[in-house]
Formats: sequence, C-alpha cells, structure tokens
Amino acid sequence: MWPGSIPPQDLQASRFGRWLDRRIPPSRQITLSQRNIFIFPNLTGFVFGGLLLLLILGAVNYQSSLVYGVAFLLGSMFLLTILYTFRNLSGLALELVGTRPGFVGEDIEFNVRVVRPQGKGREGIQLGWPEGIKQWAELNEQEAAGVRLFVKAERRGRLDPGRLLVETYYPLGLLRAWTWVDLGVQSLVYPKPIFQDFPQSTPGRRDDGQLIDPLGSDDFSDIKSYLPGDPVKHIIWRSYARSGELVVKRYASFVEPRLWLDLEEVSGPLEERLSRLTGLALRATRLEREFGLRLGATEITPAIGEAHLEPLLRELALYGLAES
Amino acid sequence: MDSPKVNEALGVAYQIPRNSLALLMIAQIVVVLPYFMQLSPWIIAVGLFCGYWRMGVYQGRWDHPRRWIKALLVIASFAGVAVSGVSAYSLEAAASVLILAFALKLIEMKGRRDAYLVIFLGYFIIATQFLFDQSILVAIYELIATIMVTAAMVGMNQLHTRVRPLASLRLAGSLVVQALPFAIVLFLFFPRIAPLWTVPLPMGATTGISDHMTPGDIARLAQSDELAFRVVFRDPVPANKDLYWRGLVYSDFKSGTWSLGPQFKPSHPRLDENYSGEEIRYEVLLEPTMSNWLFALDTATAEASNVARTLDYRLVADDPVMSVFRYEVVSRPGELMDDRLIPVIRVREKKLPEGDNPRIRAFAQALYIDSGKDVATFIDAVLRHIRQELFSYTLQPPTLQREHSIDEFWFDTRAGFCTHYAGAFVFMLRSVGIPTRMVGGYQGGEINPIGNHLVVRQYDAHAWAEVWMAGRGWTRVDPTAAVAPERIELGLNAALSLTDRAALSLFTSVRMGDWGFLGRFLDWTDSLEHRWNLWVIGYDTRFQAGFLENLLGELTPTRIGLAILLGGSTSVGLVAIALFWRRRPVHRHPVERLIRRFGDRLAGFGYPRVASEPPGAFIRRVAEEAGLEATQVDNVVAELNTLLYNPSGTRSGTEIRQLRGQLRRLQFRLAFSLSH
Repeated sequence: MWPGSIPPQDLQASRFGRWLDRRIPPSRQITLSQRNIFIFPNLTGFVFGGLLLLLILGAVNYQSSLVYGVAFLLGSMFLLTILYTFRNLSGLALELVGTRPGFVGEDIEFNVRVVRPQGKGREGIQLGWPEGIKQWAELNEQEAAGVRLFVKAERRGRLDPGRLLVETYYPLGLLRAWTWVDLGVQSLVYPKPIFQDFPQSTPGRRDDGQLIDPLGSDDFSDIKSYLPGDPVKHIIWRSYARSGELVVKRYASFVEPRLWLDLEEVSGPLEERLSRLTGLALRATRLEREFGLRLGATEITPAIGEAHLEPLLRELALYGLAES
Repeated sequence: MDSPKVNEALGVAYQIPRNSLALLMIAQIVVVLPYFMQLSPWIIAVGLFCGYWRMGVYQGRWDHPRRWIKALLVIASFAGVAVSGVSAYSLEAAASVLILAFALKLIEMKGRRDAYLVIFLGYFIIATQFLFDQSILVAIYELIATIMVTAAMVGMNQLHTRVRPLASLRLAGSLVVQALPFAIVLFLFFPRIAPLWTVPLPMGATTGISDHMTPGDIARLAQSDELAFRVVFRDPVPANKDLYWRGLVYSDFKSGTWSLGPQFKPSHPRLDENYSGEEIRYEVLLEPTMSNWLFALDTATAEASNVARTLDYRLVADDPVMSVFRYEVVSRPGELMDDRLIPVIRVREKKLPEGDNPRIRAFAQALYIDSGKDVATFIDAVLRHIRQELFSYTLQPPTLQREHSIDEFWFDTRAGFCTHYAGAFVFMLRSVGIPTRMVGGYQGGEINPIGNHLVVRQYDAHAWAEVWMAGRGWTRVDPTAAVAPERIELGLNAALSLTDRAALSLFTSVRMGDWGFLGRFLDWTDSLEHRWNLWVIGYDTRFQAGFLENLLGELTPTRIGLAILLGGSTSVGLVAIALFWRRRPVHRHPVERLIRRFGDRLAGFGYPRVASEPPGAFIRRVAEEAGLEATQVDNVVAELNTLLYNPSGTRSGTEIRQLRGQLRRLQFRLAFSLSH
C-alpha cells in the first residue's frame, strides 16, 4: 500500500491524511521538494520491470551478451527516470491565486498559479482535486502557468476541495511522482437560487417609509403658498380669510420602499427558503432595487448594488452552519 | 477494459498523443527492418502493410479495421507461420510470432495501454535481434532503434496539444546516452550465470566449412572474405606453413563427396603432464558457424568444460556456435595422435566404396608395389608424381562427373583445388590399405598489425590429408603443397592465377593484396570488431571471472555488490548533478553584468540586493544606509538608468567604462563610510 492508492475521498479522514497534514502542512504557497514529493512505479512501471526480468532470463538462457546489454540499458534508464520524474515536480511553487464563489450546482473555480524554477523540461504535469477533472500545467516554455480548477458545488457553505493533487508520469510513464498539497483553499458556495416574484410591498410609516409621491393623497405634509395649478380643494380658505394670502395644504404618499428579504416571510423548508431569498436578492440587484436581509438575528440594512449583494449572499451561504 | 471516463478520472489521458503515435510508427519500421535477414519476407510485408494502414488511420483517411478483418489478419498470419515450415519451437517461429503480434497490435491500438504494449514488444523485438546477430553495426542500429522506441514512450507523456517529435527524440536520446554508463557497470559486474534450461536456437545454414565436402566447396569458400575466426596467441605465432587449423575429419567417401563417417562420444582429456615438447597456447574467437565443430592446431586440448575432444582429435563445442564463441586451446605439435590405432578407427579410415575410380586404383596399386610397399616411400612417390606431371592449382577447375570423379581429375583434367588433391591422395592410400583420412579446416591467416591477433577468413579454407604411420601416429600430408607450395608458405593470394584473382570480389582482393590506405582501414575495422568480440560478445562467465579477479581481487558477493553500488551511484550521481545544477542566469547586457558584480560586492559588505529591486533604487537605499548624501549618487543612478533603459542610447564602450569607474568609486566610498 502506498499513498496514491488511498481513495481521495477518505484522504482527509484516514491515518495517511493525518500523517500528510504533519508532513505537508497547509499553506497558501508551497514549494515542492523531496520533503513533499512521493515517487513510485505505477502499473506500467511494474510491467516494465517484468519485461526486464524476461530479458535477463532470455540473456541467461541464450548466453547473449547483447541481450544482457539491452536489459541493463533499459534498467539503467528506468533508474534515471526516477531523477527525471522527481525533477519534473521538484522546485515547483504552487500558489492559490484566488477563487470565485458560486452557487450550488455550479463548478466552482479555483485559480492556482504554478511557477517552475529555472530550466526547461518540465512537462506533463497535472493538477486536480480529488473529485474533479485534472488539468495540465503548461510549463515547458513559460516559467509560470495559471491553472483553473473546478469543483462541483454540492452544498452551500464553505467548499473545501481538499488537498490538491499534483502529479506527473513524465518522461516515460513508468513512474508516478505526486504530492497532495493543501493550499488552505476554501470557497463560498451560495444557495442555489430559486426565482420568484417580489413579495407585496407594505405601506410605509412616515418615519421609515420613503416618499414615493410628494403630491400623493395619503398624509399631510406641509403648507406652501399657492401657485397656479395647485388643486383648488387644497387651498386653506380660512387662512386666506385671515391674511389675504392663498396657501395650500400639501399631501404626500409614503410607502415602505425598501425591499426586505426575510427568512420568515418565505415558505418551505430552510434550504428552499434560503434559495428563494438568494433568487430574490439576485433579482433585486439586477433590477437595481434597494433591499435588506433579515436572517433570524442577522440583519443587513438595505442598500443597492453588487457590493451589497456579496456580504448578503455570504450570510445566506453560511446561515446556520457552524463557523469553521 | 477501462472506459475512457475512468481513465480520465485517474488522470491518465485515454488517447495516444499524435506525436507519440507518429514516433511509434517510425519505430516499428526501424525495429522490424533488420529481420529481413532472418525471417521470410511475407512477415515483414505484413508488418509494413499494418504500418501503412495505421498511417492511413493516423492521417484520417481510413478507419480502424473492422473486427472481422482483424480476426482474419490474425488467423491468416499465424496460419502462415504454422505452414511456413519453421519448427513450432524454433527461435524463428518465436520471432515471427513476436513481429506479427507487434504489427497487428499496431493497427488495433487505440488507447494508452495498447501503445505501451506495442512499445514493450518493440524493446523485446530489439533484444531478439541480438540472438541472430551481435555485430557492432547491428548493436549501433539497435541502439538507435531503442532511442526511437523510447521517444515514442516519452511522447506518451508529453502534452497532447504539442506535436514535437524532435523534442521527444532528443530527450529519449539523452536518456539512453545517460543510461549507458550504469548499463556498462552492470554489464561488467552483474554476475553471469549458466543457462537455466535449454532453448531453441536460430537455425541458420552452416557457414564456413561443412560436414560434407565436394571438390567445389572450398573453391566457393575461397571467394568469400567473411571472417572465420580470430586467434589471440599467448605464445609466439608459428610460421604460416604450420598453421593448419584442423576442424573436421572426413572418413566417408561416396559418389565424389566426402563426409564425416561414424561418430563416437567425445571426451574431456587432461593434458599429459610428462610432455616436454613445444607448446602453443592461444584463444580462438570463433564466428557463429551454426555447428559445433571448433578449429585448432595439432594436437589440441581445450580446458573449458563446454569443449570436448572427439576420438579423431577434433574439438567440439557442446552446443552449436550461435554467437562468437571463445575457447582457450593448448596445442602440442609434438604429441602423437593415436600411437596405437583402435579397430573402429582403423576400419573407418580404410573404407572405400567398391568399384569406382578403377584407373586410379590401378595406378596406386602399381606405384605402391614400385615403392616396395613402404608407406613413406609411397607417399613421396605420389607427391613427386603431382610435382612432376602437369598438375595445376586453380579456383576454377573444370566440372567433374559424379562417378569416377577422381579418375577424371587425376588423369584427364589435372587442374584442381586443395580438395581435389587431398581427395585423390586419400583415395589412393586407402585403395592400397593404408589408414588415411581427409581433414578440413583452414590454413594460414593474417596477422592484424593493430590488434596483433591472427585473422582467419573463409578464403583460408583448406583440405589436406592425414596418414597413420606406425610410431608417428596420424601424420599430416598436404598434397596441395606439392602443386602450389606458395599457398602453404604465403597464403592463397600468392598461389592464385590472374584469372582466379579477377573472379574474386573487391573486398577479398583488397584484403589479400597490398592496397595501402584501404587495407589499413580494413585492418582497423577488423581490430575494432575483435575488441568488440573480446569485450562485449565474448564477455562470458569465464572471461568475467578473470577480469573481475584482476580488478577486485578475490570475488565475493559483497565486493561485486559494492562495485555495482559504487559504479551506479557515480554514474547516476553525475546525471543528477547535470539535472539539478542550476546555473546562474547569464546577463547578456554589459550594464546588467556590471550591476550584478556591484551587487555581489555589496552583498559582501552585508548589503544584498533584493531580487525585485531596481538597480537605481538599490544604490539609493545602500547610500542612505551608509549615510551618504543622495546627491552623491544621483549622477551614477542617472547614468545607469540611461544606459539601461534608454532605448535610443548608444551604450558605447567608453560609456560603459565610465560607468564601471563610477560604480567602483561609489563602491569604495560606500565601503569607507560603512566601515566607520
């Protein structure tokens, strides 16, 4: 049993995972060296070893010096490949450049930057999360490469893709050099949005409502001097009688203009409710409406725009989850 | 079979990169080609056909063959091997199957696993070629083939999007070359062990002298300059006329053909310790003959356990000689062969068929009676007859009838080669009842002036006679010496007529004659080949033991293990240094060079330059830390920036010299203020 044979899912939990945590502690930037690179023949390598044994057997039975020669040459090459394969990873610096949060069901993108030390000849390097498609890092010509890795988001909250596998079979494919690095990567996963209509807006009170129509008819607002065109029925005739000046009463309409997204006001199980709120938040932002969020004890005062959306989605993503 | 998806999840791309595929197809051709020599052409044709088809697939013109076509090809191919007449357990059959599998797999191959199978088969086929031929040229060729196959394997692990066969080839080349030193260490030190079981050997036709001899055989061999064997003498080389390399004894005569006659179990005689005469020690490196007879001078004893001696004093190897075979021989010219004749041999060496060649029988009878029935006198009389009558020595004798061929030669044509003379001689002696036999082998040889070894070629093939005489045992008599003494004294070339010589191939005549530069070149290649035989092909258990004892003293597993370890770590270590050594970046720009040197010196004072720091900022920082006024360095920094960054700047030599002076003064100033 060697490290690579452990199924990635169990990686973190297994004893090997704990050992790995001590051996290659999490860090945002890691340089690969003999401390953290493992190397072992893969199946092809073992078959190749079998081929060498067959050749030596043939050389013994046929007493053929040159068949010995072929076997020794290939064996020696196999040995050198250890150096080549190891060198292919050695000195590589891996760094998490950033991640972009996403919604449940999406592929979450992680940007990893790989920088090779001087000297060409680093090829066939693959990076990948335990669950996810591997990507090639093109490092032969250029010194650094950005690799975009994706992980499918299954649940909202913090997504920890686990340790990043860096592996290579280069140059002959007989040996596998690999390492599991923990770049301390976490990304936020927002609830999967469910889109629906905005809830009915509630009539506002004067103190927190917003004036939506200064010439409305709901509430008395103030008095001003009459200008032609003002409604005649608003003229305060009593005042005219007293002072001879025409004044009018003004009324204004107030509405609760700010959208409040409240967990209590959407229906369904918790996850669905969070999803609905997410959908509303996205919609409101697209329509450039001001809105706030009430999630139990948490309240985010209403505002507008992308910058406002992000902390809001974050709350939705993490609601009810233990802070890790 | 894994689905592509599973493979992908495992991080192994399923498809074979095109780069690798192209290399693999070329490698296939390179690997299969040398088998033209050993295998029937149709197998090579199947190989090339499959390669052609695969090329079509590669270029997108054709599809992979359908399943039934593949099945048909496989069945047809293996049926072809079965009916082609090679034995099922022969090496040829194995090689044919191997190559067919290799070729057929190529058209079938789709995934990585298939490609690796083809690659590994390729290595195997390369090694198998050495069972047929181990010459230097083949070795060089197969080294290149190894690089090709390795390049295909490298291509398998390079990025798919790139098609760079040359890069793969270059890497494969350096891998193979870097692997050579340790391979040589292993070759020298890895213990060679005896075969574990017997294996089928290649079945080539016998080359050189065969176990049948018709008069034309040796004349045919005389046309060939192919190597028979090389000899390294431990003692001074005997004169050419004494170099009779005895290999075969022909006792049966029937319809003009001599053959070996009844054989008896060979033995392993010990050297007689009471012998006090002349002794010649030498080692023979025999080229493959596909037979087990060996060649040696009289009277030969070999000490190797795999070489035995027959009742008629021939040396034979236990197994047919399939690759260069080395054996040490002690020859004692003074030792009698058969001082007493045992009956089976006496019967064997006197037998003649009834009734043929009546004229020469009568002639011999008369001459024998004239000689007073004395064997020695009779021999002299026969040889005198050859000398005095108009017998001639030629490589192109007239064709003889099968019946009464000796009569025809002796009385009518009177022109022949060594076989004719020896044959007639033996026939005459046997017809009067004297035990006589025909001996085949080689006579003479040339010394290679570079390697100081003796080279015996096919054109040195020769036949002579042995007569048993009481008190002298088997005694060599060479009737050819009577008709062409220069053949024995000087070699074949001296004995050849102009017409004979014109019939020889160019190389043969160059080898025989004095052709100056070309001759020396051939000497050189011969000597190279000899060393190859000594050190590579002939590096067997016995030679290894001798070599390693010289090198390491007493041979213990520990010592051998240590030697392999030491050699291995040295050769692998050198490669590691080459791989991991990081050279300093080379600064092409002269100003950059100046700055780097300046930085290095200041680092010596404890003010290293930070990697990302621009040179100007660095100078200002250090100046500030050293307590210098900013104005004091303004000049230098300005000058430096102009030279570095101004694209239209001239950067003439004087400017750079100026800057160097400024930097040096600044350095002194800094050093001064830093020390206070």
